[in-house]
Amino acid sequence: MALEREIIASNHPVLPVSLAVRGGDFVFLSGMTAVDPVAGSVAHGTVAAETRHILTEMARLLEAAGSSLARVVKVNVLIYSMLEYDNMNTVYREFFTVDPPARTVCGAKLIGGHKIEIDCIALR
Amino acid sequence: MSDRLERSVIAPANPKLNVSRNANLPHSPGIRAGDYIFLSGMGPVDPVTGGRDLGPVAEQIRQTLRNMAHMLESAGSGLDRVVKVMIVLADSADYDEMNQVWREFFPVDPPARTCCALQLSNGNGVEIECIALAGKAA
Repeated sequence: MALEREIIASNHPVLPVSLAVRGGDFVFLSGMTAVDPVAGSVAHGTVAAETRHILTEMARLLEAAGSSLARVVKVNVLIYSMLEYDNMNTVYREFFTVDPPARTVCGAKLIGGHKIEIDCIALR
Repeated sequence: MSDRLERSVIAPANPKLNVSRNANLPHSPGIRAGDYIFLSGMGPVDPVTGGRDLGPVAEQIRQTLRNMAHMLESAGSGLDRVVKVMIVLADSADYDEMNQVWREFFPVDPPARTCCALQLSNGNGVEIECIALAGKAA
């Protein structure tokens, strides 16, 4: 029997993507930036502030999918400059305190003036 | 909920390759989730010293893939169980050389792969992550 594909949050305020899709036991989140997921307003700030904004919203989205930050298995972080790596990590640690997910962090040219973009795969 | 899949941390048998623990970074070397293993991005770490092995890029890639094999074997999986790889190069000019080394490790039925050039940490010329199936092939 084919696994079920469920759209958890289709309401991306700006882009033609779903914020979260469940496929079987896994939940896949789109890359998140410091954008209010409902209003679509941009909350640019420091890397620390944008990281906090994103991970706070990520926790909400995962919980809406019956998952949580503690169920995340893999994270991708894109950051506008690897010089800000430690600034991201300082906030990141607050959200993933025990047995953190596997993660890859790279410096990349981000779109829309964002300093950081984070996606993840979680178990529901 | 009892029907939820289990999530567990996996780590390399060789503690020198446990970069996140040795450098106190907020990620796990890998996570097993159900039938899948997700590995963090790995760089060319010397398995004897635990330091960065920043020689020629071909050797960096070779060392990183050897470390990846070690990580997967430590968790009861292996390179032949990898389904998806992402390779990040510091310099896209190294693409052809990367493919040559890649063929040494995945001569038949290679995994799906994405390769791109991005800014990397620690002066690495390469960083590689993968998703693999847990366990040995039947």
